[in-house]
Amino acid sequence: MAFFKLASKNILRHKIRSFLTVIGIATSVAVLFSIISFNRGFEKGLSLELERTGIHFLVVPSGCPHEVASLVLHGSVIPKYLDISIRDRLAEFPSVALVSPFLVFQLPNPEKKRIDLVSGMEMAHIKKLKPGWAIEGAVPAAEDEVLVGSEIAGHDRLKIGDQLTYQGNRTFRVSGILEKTGSQDDAFLYLPIATAQAVLGKEKGVTALGVRVANPETINAAVEEISAKIPGIQIITMSQVLNSLSSLAGSAKVLSLSIAAVAILISAVGIMNSILMAVFERTGEIGMMRAIGASRSDVFRIILVETTLITALGGLTGIVSAAAGSGIIEALVRKFMPYVPSGKMIGFDPGLAGLCLLFSLALGIASGLYPAWKAARIHPIEAIKA
Amino acid sequence: MIELDGVEKVYPRGSELVHALRGIDLVLSKGEFVSIIGHSGSGKTTLLQIIGCLDKPTRGSLKIDGIEAGTMREARLVELRREKIGFVFQQFHLLPGLSVYENVTLPLLFSRKKKTEKEIMTILESVGLRERVRHNPNQLSGGEMQRVAIARALVGDPEIILADEPTGNLDSENSNTIMALLESLHARGLSIVMVTHNRDLAGKAQRIIELKDGRIQ
Repeated sequence: MAFFKLASKNILRHKIRSFLTVIGIATSVAVLFSIISFNRGFEKGLSLELERTGIHFLVVPSGCPHEVASLVLHGSVIPKYLDISIRDRLAEFPSVALVSPFLVFQLPNPEKKRIDLVSGMEMAHIKKLKPGWAIEGAVPAAEDEVLVGSEIAGHDRLKIGDQLTYQGNRTFRVSGILEKTGSQDDAFLYLPIATAQAVLGKEKGVTALGVRVANPETINAAVEEISAKIPGIQIITMSQVLNSLSSLAGSAKVLSLSIAAVAILISAVGIMNSILMAVFERTGEIGMMRAIGASRSDVFRIILVETTLITALGGLTGIVSAAAGSGIIEALVRKFMPYVPSGKMIGFDPGLAGLCLLFSLALGIASGLYPAWKAARIHPIEAIKA
Repeated sequence: MIELDGVEKVYPRGSELVHALRGIDLVLSKGEFVSIIGHSGSGKTTLLQIIGCLDKPTRGSLKIDGIEAGTMREARLVELRREKIGFVFQQFHLLPGLSVYENVTLPLLFSRKKKTEKEIMTILESVGLRERVRHNPNQLSGGEMQRVAIARALVGDPEIILADEPTGNLDSENSNTIMALLESLHARGLSIVMVTHNRDLAGKAQRIIELKDGRIQ
C-alpha cells in the first residue's frame, strides 16, 4: 500500500466533508479561470472589433477621447459635430485612402416608448467598414430606407419591407436586417448619412470621420500632417480607443480579480479548516501510526497528500465546470456589462487551465502545511490515551 | 532484553507535577511474558509507554538490548519501534477505510520493509483471519478486530509485543481467544508485556508486576 492509496482512502472516509471542500475549491478555481479567460477574451475581442471597423483613426471635434470611445462602440451622444466639408479636405491628403462619416444620435420612439440608437453611415462603405456583417436583404439604397440591427428587428418582429415611423411623419422602409453579431451593433438602426443628418437637423454635421490610410505604416505621419493642417479637430487612433476602453475595463478587471481573490482566500481557509478538523478527529489514529512506526515526516506526508488530492480534484472540477458553463457565465456577464465585444469571450485555453490547476495545487499545499505540521506533532502516546 | 534502572517519570498537570513512576528497576528478559497490573493512576500505562519507546523517562536509564534508549533522538526511537516492538491497543485503532489486509500491512508502509502476500496470509492465518482479509473493520466483531491488531503488530517481525489492556473492550469469550493467541506468540519465542486490570488474565503470564503509586510492589 502506498501513501497515495492511504490518503485517498482517508478522504473517502469523510465523503460529505471532502465533497464540500472539493466544491469550495472548484468554485474558486472556476471563478478564477472564468475571470482570467473573460479578461483575455475581452481584450482580444476588443482589439479584433476595432480592427474590423476597417478604419485606422477617427477624426472628431476637439474633446475627450473617452467620449469618442464610448460613441464608437456604445452609442453615446456628444453635443459637438464636425462639419462634413472636412471630409473633402481629408480626402485630399495623398496618404488617405478612405474617409467615411458617422453620425450617431438617439431617436425617440414614442410608439414603442423607448429611445432608439441611430448610426448614420455612408452605405457604400459598409462592406469595407464592417466586413464581418451578414445582412438579410440589402443595405439602404434610397434615402428612406433603413438597415435594422438584429436586436431591434427581433424585438419589433420586423421583416424586410416593413415600415418604421418616427415623430409622426418620418417613415422608413426596412431594406435589410443585420444578423446577430453579439455586439452593440445589434441595437442600432443604420440610416444613410444624408438621411440621418436630415432627421437630426444637422445637414452638415457628423459625429466623426473614420479614416483609412493607404499604408498602415504611415498612420503616425498622416495623423501629424492632418492635425497640423486642419484646425479644430482631434484625431483618435484605434490603438488609443483600445487603450481608453481597456483602461475603462481595467477597473472592472481589478474588481473581478478581487472577487476571485476573496473566493480563493475563503476556499483556502475552508481547506485548512476541513483538514485540521480531520486531523483533530484522528488524533488517536495518528498516534497509533506514530506508535507502529510512522515518523513525523510520514504523518506530514500523509496529510499533505490528502490535501493535494482534494485540491487537485477541486481544481479539475472547477476548470471542467467553468469550461462546461462558459456559455452561461458569458451570457450573464453580457447581461450586466454595458459593453462586451462580439465573439466568444470565455474559451478553453489549456495553458490557462494548467496554470489554474497549478495555482489550486499550490493553494492546497499551502493550506495543508499547518494541519500537516499539527498532525506530525501528535505524540504516539495519544494512541494509548484515546 | 529490556532494562530499566531508576526510571522516574514526572509530567506537569496544570500547575502541579505528577510523579507517574518513581524509581522503577526492572529487567525484562527475551521471551518472557510479563503482566503489569495496578489500579488506575498506578503508572502501569506510563511504564508501558516507556518500555515501548513512546515516551522518555524523566530520570533513570532505559536500555534495549544493551543500548541506551532513554536519551535517544526521536528519529532513532522511531526506527527502534519499527524494528523491535509491536503494539496492541485497547481501542484496536484499525483504520476504518482500509481492509483487514491493508490494516495489517500498514506498518510496512512506514518501515519500507517488503513482505510477500504469502507471508502476510500466513500471519493472518495464525490469528484465524484468513477468510476475512477483504473485509473492512466495521464488518468484524471486537475479538476479530483485536486479532487484526495483533496481526498488524506481528507484521514487522518484532521481538516484543506490548499490549495495553488488549481484552479491555472484549467479552470473556473473545478475551480468552486473545489471551490464547498471546500465549501462542509467547510459545513461539516472542516477549509479551501486557497491561491489564484483570488479575485472572494477568495470572496467565510468567510474571506479574504490580504497580502502586508509581512504584513496583
